[in-house]
Amino acid sequence: MLTKELIGRIAEATGQSKKQVEMLLSTSNAILRETLMAGKAVQLQGFGALELKAKQARVIVHPKTGERTEVPSKNQLVFRPVDNLKDELKKI
Amino acid sequence: MAEKLSWTELRRALASRAGVSEKEANTFLNALNAQIVEALKSDKQVKVNGLGMFKLQAVAPRKSVNVATGEAITIEGYNKIAFVPEASVKELVEKVGEAYPQPLPEGKGDDRDFMHDTDPLKKLGSQAEEIVDILGELGQSPKAEEKPTPTLPEGKEEVIPEPEPVNEPEPIKEPEPEPVVEEPVREPEPIKEPEPVKEPEPVVEVKPEEPAKPEEPKKKEKKYHFVRDTLICVVILLLLLLVGYFFLRHQLSGWIESFLQGNPAPTEQVAATESTEAAVAADAEEGELTEEQVLAEFLACSEESEEQVTPEANIYEELITIEPMHEASRLTWMAKRFYGDKAYWPYLYDANKDHISNPSKIEVGTPIRVPKLTAAQKDTTIESTRIALERLRREAEAACRK
Repeated sequence: MLTKELIGRIAEATGQSKKQVEMLLSTSNAILRETLMAGKAVQLQGFGALELKAKQARVIVHPKTGERTEVPSKNQLVFRPVDNLKDELKKI
Repeated sequence: MAEKLSWTELRRALASRAGVSEKEANTFLNALNAQIVEALKSDKQVKVNGLGMFKLQAVAPRKSVNVATGEAITIEGYNKIAFVPEASVKELVEKVGEAYPQPLPEGKGDDRDFMHDTDPLKKLGSQAEEIVDILGELGQSPKAEEKPTPTLPEGKEEVIPEPEPVNEPEPIKEPEPEPVVEEPVREPEPIKEPEPVKEPEPVVEVKPEEPAKPEEPKKKEKKYHFVRDTLICVVILLLLLLVGYFFLRHQLSGWIESFLQGNPAPTEQVAATESTEAAVAADAEEGELTEEQVLAEFLACSEESEEQVTPEANIYEELITIEPMHEASRLTWMAKRFYGDKAYWPYLYDANKDHISNPSKIEVGTPIRVPKLTAAQKDTTIESTRIALERLRREAEAACRK
């Protein structure tokens, strides 16, 4: 499902106009991005949490040339669903 | 990730930024979550623009073993939610909080929170600038710290490193050639020369520095180069001296001869004029030979006087000892030890020339006869002795060159 369809469904469910839903969605996403960029996690009630996971730097070896390069440390954005949702989706 | 933006905070932030009521924001967010879950169930994947894609992934059933009983079991397959962030979001997040953890100010749901939220970029930017400044300061600071010092002590610093190379090599040089008394008088002269030359320079340099500040850095660079160059010179000099020292240790006699040959000439010339009077005194002892000897001195030739002097020089009535050659020993050093002056070394060669072919390369263990010298043989004021000694020296020198 693409964003457009999702917006339509949300609009249908909440009775808000699609335009407003689109606006709300973009603002909420902007807020989420900014929060994450500040190094803070976001808890989405009944859904899950968007968190940053620190990945350590590591060395990779090119299998053919044997060349070693270091992959610098970085953060990964991960989604951790709430347990209810996790269990619910398991059984589908 | 210690801190989390709570649901309430998110709701308030959304409401304030989008200009809607908190209730509306709440319903929207709830609907968003619910619809995403619904969409996952139906379509197995949902794309949310500006955030990423949620997917429902199937994990296949797999075989495992009950650890307690060893019984083979199968773990049933299940579905899990996978989240793939948008490329742009991924990049944004990658470097966050590593070097500069930036916890958000405690949100109260006001606009301010998210005015602050936009700050991190600026903060990162400003921090980068600060770091650049700090790095710049660090880069400059060594220069800046040394700025005050060089102006005054420049003269001292420049002078200090230089005397070292001049002073250090000399003590090493002197012991090796072991020159006659004239040498130390000659060598100190070069020490005095460089010092007066260098001292005036700094005085000249310091004065222009005070009025003309923009030229300072260049001069400091020059100074660094200068100090570095002098250090390099010192190192090279020391290396050369070391090499020279070892070379000399093995080729000592050749050098000694050149020194001894070169030096006696002036002494003789100086002494010759004086000794014309002294020779008269010597005449009384030696009798008829005086006129010929004086002539020989002036000509600096030993040939004429050889016949008369040789018998005296070659007679060694008694031996002090017979000493085996040490590894580190030299005829000159033995001469100094037994006779009190290394200038008498040719006697040692003369006494041993039957079994020493090259006095500069005497094998270790070779027995060296040390003859007892008569007072006349030791007395270099006697012209015949001096000439005899020089003849022996030349002989030994010639032996070195073979």
